[in-house]
Amino acid sequence: MRLYAAFVYLFLYVPIGVIALFSFNSGRHASQLMGFSTKWYGKTLSNPFVMDALETSLIVAFVAATCATVFGTMAAVALQGIKGPVRTIFDGLIYIAVMIPGIVIGIATLIGLVTLFDQLNPLIAAIWPNGFTPPKLRMGMGTLIAAHTMFLMALVVIIVRARLSGMDRALTEASSDLYATPFGTFRQVTLPLILPGVLAGFLLSFTFSFDDFIIAFFVAGTETTLPLYVFSSIRRGVTPEINVIGTMVLAVSLMLLLIVQVLLRRGGRKAK
Amino acid sequence: MTQRTRNLLLLAPAGTWFLVMLIVPLSVVLIFSFGERAPAGGVVPAFTFEQYANLPARWAAFRNTLFLAPVGTIAALLIAYPLAYYLAVKVDPKWKMLLLVLVIVPFWTSILIRSYAWIFLLGGRGIPALLGWIGFEDIRLINTPFSVLVGIIYGYLPLMVFPLFVSLDRLDKRLLEASSDLGAKPWRTFAQITLPLSVPGIATGCMLVFILLMGEFLIPALLGGGKVFFVGNALVDLFLQSRNWAYGSAVAVTLVVVMLITVTIYMRLISRLGAHREDVSLM
Amino acid sequence: MTKFNDYISKQKFMEELYRYKRGSVTRRHFLNVTGLGAATAVLGAAVPGLLPRPAFAAGDIGDRVILATWPNYHEPANFEAFTEATGAHVQVNVFGSNEEMLAKLQAGGSGWDVYVPTNYTITTYVSEGLIEPLDASKLPNYDASAFDARYAEAGSVDGQLYAVPKDWGTTGLAINTAHNGGKAITSWKEFFDITRDSFSGRTMVHDYQLTTIGNALKYFGYSFNSVDEAELADAEKLLIDVKPHLFAISSDYQPSMRSGDAWLTMCWSGDGKQLNTDMPEIAYVLGAEGGEIWSDYYAIPKGAPHMDAAYALINFLLDPAVNAKEVLAHGYPTADANTFALLPESLRNDPILFPAQELLSPLEFGAAQTLTDPNRAELMARFKSA
Repeated sequence: MRLYAAFVYLFLYVPIGVIALFSFNSGRHASQLMGFSTKWYGKTLSNPFVMDALETSLIVAFVAATCATVFGTMAAVALQGIKGPVRTIFDGLIYIAVMIPGIVIGIATLIGLVTLFDQLNPLIAAIWPNGFTPPKLRMGMGTLIAAHTMFLMALVVIIVRARLSGMDRALTEASSDLYATPFGTFRQVTLPLILPGVLAGFLLSFTFSFDDFIIAFFVAGTETTLPLYVFSSIRRGVTPEINVIGTMVLAVSLMLLLIVQVLLRRGGRKAK
Repeated sequence: MTQRTRNLLLLAPAGTWFLVMLIVPLSVVLIFSFGERAPAGGVVPAFTFEQYANLPARWAAFRNTLFLAPVGTIAALLIAYPLAYYLAVKVDPKWKMLLLVLVIVPFWTSILIRSYAWIFLLGGRGIPALLGWIGFEDIRLINTPFSVLVGIIYGYLPLMVFPLFVSLDRLDKRLLEASSDLGAKPWRTFAQITLPLSVPGIATGCMLVFILLMGEFLIPALLGGGKVFFVGNALVDLFLQSRNWAYGSAVAVTLVVVMLITVTIYMRLISRLGAHREDVSLM
Repeated sequence: MTKFNDYISKQKFMEELYRYKRGSVTRRHFLNVTGLGAATAVLGAAVPGLLPRPAFAAGDIGDRVILATWPNYHEPANFEAFTEATGAHVQVNVFGSNEEMLAKLQAGGSGWDVYVPTNYTITTYVSEGLIEPLDASKLPNYDASAFDARYAEAGSVDGQLYAVPKDWGTTGLAINTAHNGGKAITSWKEFFDITRDSFSGRTMVHDYQLTTIGNALKYFGYSFNSVDEAELADAEKLLIDVKPHLFAISSDYQPSMRSGDAWLTMCWSGDGKQLNTDMPEIAYVLGAEGGEIWSDYYAIPKGAPHMDAAYALINFLLDPAVNAKEVLAHGYPTADANTFALLPESLRNDPILFPAQELLSPLEFGAAQTLTDPNRAELMARFKSA
């Protein structure tokens, strides 16, 4: 049993090890080990295309995860107290949003929005004051964030709801019996209870958005996210740059994990 | 403001978002699937079932997907289960968390980069070179269905381990002890206690992996060398190469319908097996 | 700061380029140069005096221009020089096929300023209203009389200029002769036959219907552009028969050829030149039956967001001194006599760049219909999913 586990860990970590090992390769070809060097780190960090892509990815992930967490939590809380057709419709929408493969979301968003924009752009141009160039709706960071938010919102609703369903209803009832305003109840009773779920939802959303390739592949317009950049680099092959990106993303996520762990522990102690 | 109005207001942003980013796009896909291909690509509105009649031309892609997705799911399950069992039941609780986190860590490197590592490992200078060294000459691994399967298992293993672990960890260890105290053989304990109790985890894990595999594009594209063709690859080609939006929409609609049917049947089966619905409906 | 960008003499620059081309391709240099670029930008932002002073007012053309082009197809140092001169940064998007470019433009969301279409696509872009007519007066470096008409004429449709020539090239095959007793092969017939024999599992074909089907058609001696049903059926049979013996269906064949996983591939001449320079055992061959000759163009898509910058970039890249550096980097021949004159002697006589006339004459230019033919697209899909 133990041997088996060791074997699975080997399977999991050999590729990671290979990625990290080759990121210190001094040769220019990713497939041939030439000697130890950190020069590719310097080169990658100073490559403006990598940095642009990283920046785009971070912005998209942050904004999409924030929107998804806020709107998703709002929806999850509201759905707790709602029954009837509205509830059924939302349950259905959430089910569809999570069920549908990312590739279909990407394609549908692309052709759906392109069709929508084709209708809207002349309208905007028509009502725009003369003498000013009317804005043109097109695929780009906005559409990418919107597409990610849609999918992630469904995820947040599911996570927060799982947390809410375990919550004691008597608590909120007690709170309103004590004449707390609805917002007060939310802030002082509901929110602290669902906060771990909300945070988990945000982190998961951020990760999903940051790693997403397939939706961005269709809806990113001219923007290049980090996964899109890596994909085109892999297709063209070569250079340890891809390994450097992989190793650094891994190192940063490990660091974040540690920080979160420490913060949570401290927060937990304080709460007690 | 009544509570109902407040709830509806809270739902409004999410509802609008779903409307614009989910309902509208999916409706457009549905409408386009009844259209015709414009001469230079794109779509002309029409009402024809021609695109659906043409679906057999992508039968091979559906066949590959419907074969490799379940095979990949089951392979991931078979590999993940003993590990999850080990982590949940056998391992010293001190190390449990750490070992669990170690399963998830690789998941944080994008699947692109992990597949890239396999391109090297399965390529001529990786494992085949090692095999050649011990006497197995001329083994080709990269760009085969096998390499795609390896990529799939590798990519989705953590997703499988996690729900399995959660359900096995909830298992009351005293049950296992009682069972062995009563003289049951280990495999009997497993078949009669452990396995049935872990069904929710199996159900969730398999569904997660299966859903992702049905729409998979990247792993076959990177590790299949363009020779292993999934519905996802067919869709990308239809929209980004041959620009046949009408036909592509029909393929997309079919994929969604196939998934809805398989997943619904699957959920029925699972709930008949006695899994708790809430556990399964989490995804 | 400027020592790398303005730097060395043209002569020195050529030598430099040659040196690294022999040992490696453009990427390393690219990173070097762009790396320095980033350092300049960071320092420049901190110390305003250090900002590179544009040769003409930066506000004129904006601060960025987006170029959609092909892999391994430009000299990155030229983009740096362009940024230096104008203040506009060049963002590069890379594509693997003309169909992909067309698909993105048709989806309306491209947002590109300049793109690089191939000869046979231009009429389609014009009829679909996806391309901006060019105002030649904004391209003073475009000297139409200096271009060989064969490689420039597709840029004009009904007398209106839409695109200006970038370079031209051929689609042949690249073979690692070390695995064939040091011998190259000479025809598409041999290409497909050896694949089913001693090269089984080592051959790559493009993920691009135009060339893959076209070269399969040449196996039977049919036209590269055939849309005849019976001829396409023959090509399909051949391709499906060959498929189990292929290493991959992919247009990104350089990495696999370099690593030794693949021994034989359909190949564009510039890639052939780059491979041959680094690994002399890889030979670039034109199929004896014929095949494709093509030329690529610079064009501006309809509704480009940075129109002035687009004109400025095209004009800059057409400058013969700049263009010569481009040719050294990508290894494709130019149709511009002024640029040709600046190339080193060895390159002007290079058999990969400038094949002998008798090898060129059986080659065919791709036709618009070949690209957009739905039957060919479906054939390719059947081949890939078989």
